[in-house]
Amino acid sequence: MNTHPYIRAYLAGAFVPTLVLPLLLTVFIVVRIVLKVPVPIELAMIFPMAVVPSLFGLWNMIYLATRDRFHQPIGLHGAVLPLLLAPAGATLASCLGVLVLGSHGATWFQACEIPYTLIVPGFLAALAGYYLVWKYIVGFLNRMQGIA
Amino acid sequence: MNSDQDVRMKTLLQQALPRVEGQPEPEHDLWPAVLRKMDARPAPPPLVDWALVAGLVAFVGFFPAAIPVLLYYL
Repeated sequence: MNTHPYIRAYLAGAFVPTLVLPLLLTVFIVVRIVLKVPVPIELAMIFPMAVVPSLFGLWNMIYLATRDRFHQPIGLHGAVLPLLLAPAGATLASCLGVLVLGSHGATWFQACEIPYTLIVPGFLAALAGYYLVWKYIVGFLNRMQGIA
Repeated sequence: MNSDQDVRMKTLLQQALPRVEGQPEPEHDLWPAVLRKMDARPAPPPLVDWALVAGLVAFVGFFPAAIPVLLYYL
């Protein structure tokens, strides 16, 4: 089955965020309705719902198109993605009021206050998470679809 | 298909397929190697990956407020 490898790459890439999205939605709904925390769920969901899955799929298509030239491991390829996603997500969140920058830290979803000292460790954790997700899950899906 | 047709089919196939020159068969049976490869377990993840998992779990454990933010980007 060697037809449409880029469509298969897109689907394999978009798999993980598509799977996480209902989980995220459940968490936000529980936090808002059960715990009565005033989280702006409709604004907070725009980025994970509209941008992240598409970007994961496109990033996997780029991997498929460039791996013969650069021979980059898929884990490292995926670990580069937060360099694009982090500023884009923060900018969108800031514009929508989901992220408010204060003097000591950033407040996400009007509920989670993250001190600025945690930005670097948090970013490194995101890099590690993306590296593992891409190496083991997206890589497995690529192999399963015959495009690894 | 009777035996005459079998013989005729065999002859036609032998005529249609080019003769393999040189060594027609491998030196040894390759099937055990195929079975070994099919039965082989994938290599376990390297220690670096386990360290990354541990670091990620520790970060989330120490700073649970960061979980929604990490999920926001996934």
